[in-house]
Amino acid sequence: MGSVSFQHVKKQYATERRYSVDDFHLQVEDGEFLVLVGPSGCGKSTLLRMLAGLEDISEGEIYIGDRMVNYVSSKDRNIAMVFQNYALYPHMSVFENIAFGLRLRKLPKHELQERVTRAAKVLEIEALLDKLPKHMSGGQRQRVALGRAIVREPEVFLMDEPLSNLDAKLRVQMREEITKLHRKLQTTMIYVTHDQIEAMTMGTRIVVMRSGIIQQVGTPKEIYQSPKNMFVAGFIGTPPMNFIHGTIQHTSDGVFFDTRRYRLLIPAKKAKVLIDQRYHDKRIVLGVRAEKIACKDSVDWSLTQSQFDSTVDMLEFMGSDTYLHLNNTDHSLIVRVDPLRLGFQEGDTVTVGFDMNNVHFFDPGTEELLC
Amino acid sequence: MKTLQMMTRRSGVSLARAWRKAKAVDWFQRITFLGLLLLAVFMALPIIFIFNHAFKPINELFLYPPRFIVQEPTLENFRDLFLKTQSLVIPFTRYLFNSLLTTSLTMIGVIGVSSMAAYAFSKHVFPGSKFFFALTIFALMFAPEAVAIPRYLVIANIGIMNTYFAHIIPLIAAPTSVFLMKQFVDQIPNELMEAARIDGAKEWLIFFRIVMPVCTPAIATVAILTFQGAWSQTETSNLYIQVESMKTLPYYVMTLTNGLANNVVGQGIAAAVGLIMFVPNLIIFLVSQRRVLATMAHSGIK
Repeated sequence: MGSVSFQHVKKQYATERRYSVDDFHLQVEDGEFLVLVGPSGCGKSTLLRMLAGLEDISEGEIYIGDRMVNYVSSKDRNIAMVFQNYALYPHMSVFENIAFGLRLRKLPKHELQERVTRAAKVLEIEALLDKLPKHMSGGQRQRVALGRAIVREPEVFLMDEPLSNLDAKLRVQMREEITKLHRKLQTTMIYVTHDQIEAMTMGTRIVVMRSGIIQQVGTPKEIYQSPKNMFVAGFIGTPPMNFIHGTIQHTSDGVFFDTRRYRLLIPAKKAKVLIDQRYHDKRIVLGVRAEKIACKDSVDWSLTQSQFDSTVDMLEFMGSDTYLHLNNTDHSLIVRVDPLRLGFQEGDTVTVGFDMNNVHFFDPGTEELLC
Repeated sequence: MKTLQMMTRRSGVSLARAWRKAKAVDWFQRITFLGLLLLAVFMALPIIFIFNHAFKPINELFLYPPRFIVQEPTLENFRDLFLKTQSLVIPFTRYLFNSLLTTSLTMIGVIGVSSMAAYAFSKHVFPGSKFFFALTIFALMFAPEAVAIPRYLVIANIGIMNTYFAHIIPLIAAPTSVFLMKQFVDQIPNELMEAARIDGAKEWLIFFRIVMPVCTPAIATVAILTFQGAWSQTETSNLYIQVESMKTLPYYVMTLTNGLANNVVGQGIAAAVGLIMFVPNLIIFLVSQRRVLATMAHSGIK
């Protein structure tokens, strides 16, 4: 029904030499909330527009349900799209905006009335039906844009950064409402965003893209906990993952990750993988999340295996957390600490340790995950 | 007594506030304001004169020194215009009808052709689109006099001399209007059309239901410009029409003011016709100016 299948889809614009979308191959199941995330210019919007029929497909095939839609016009694809700037018809009332698509399908009047009212009820915009878009706030307009999409009862919803024009507080609220809407409607949604928080909180599955190429597909948890490469690791998560360059040293005491300032013992399981892959004495990148580094005397301290001293460069107070920016001469580290337990000052020296079972090793050349 | 005191105090306060506000305006602004005010009065004088002149009785029309404001207003001039000219070979109303018909058809034609061309140039890519738009811009540079002869030949050869088409068709190709409309259509976000396309609208429907309504301010502007141009032009009557009954009102006015320069009776009729020529311009402007000022284009968009 509402499944979408991308078969080696490529897009190349006439004016550009490289592919904007390169060999995109993915199966989206019916009822899934798929989030395409990546920095601007990564091809995620282009992909969505190809699915909507607003852009030609250079190579490959797109299926909605069992139907190949490459040459089907937008209106016959049974999709609905929500745009970043809402794209409400400025001269029409909210009712007319929502009803426009239904009118064009020549729906009987009573049914049209009923469906618009029902959509308005779901989105709590019944009171706005007579208003013009210019007399509404950003959040209200966004709701109307959603209403215009859901009233059509499409097989697939497409959303192109629908929340990026809203202010921070409203964005959180609408995020929640779209998630609830998806739960209620159980319709396939494909959602494009550059905001990794939206991706993490809303998606049942996330596709991370860069330069038109899929970097990783997985649930938010998978992507966060086991990123496939340094790009995904750095892009997903706030603050971004810490990367430390060093070498692997195999001594009689064990296998160590060695920077010029400190040595960290690598747990046996990871050490075996690295040695098996012949990384002894080679350059390597260690990736560690801010919450997998602990300061001495903190609750998580018992989990850490190797410790070293560092100085506090800057403090970022976030309310529930404090981020310590530590200066290690050749690199800096961001550490999350509990602000209530530990009081730090800029310039303090702290002893920190890594939870070595939860660090990642990347090849500095290919940037791929090793273990 | 108390209230009076309060009132004087309050008015004193508001006066003081007005004075402070006035002091905040710098000298440059004050001088500019004064200059613009004088200019506005200067520009308004002919309009006042046209209105007053049409209602002056014959003795006032020839008053020396001439006065702006009518002393004893009368409708005599209009009566002369409508009644006396009816007995002539071609009555005044025939010219008026010709003018109204050709001007309104020209307006509809220009708006239709310009907006469609503008939409095509702005939102579609078709073979030669850039070339044709460049050609339109190029056409802006021609003085109408330069193309008078070739245009005459075209009109003569397609056989529309002495028809209403000869009044309308030469004016329909309006590069200025196309350019103006295109600039406006350019500002309409593509998403609006894409949303309509996904909603199931075909090209014509998008044009009529989305693009045209959003472009009302631009259409109003084009309507004003076209009306003013078409309503007052005499070239088509001069060049392509030899049959008197097919000529337009401005041509008639021209013959009145030229031919009857020394005719005492004609002066009153000329004054009345002058007002009739002017009033539609004013009406069109007053009707459309609100639309021109209304900026609807981006209200659905953040």
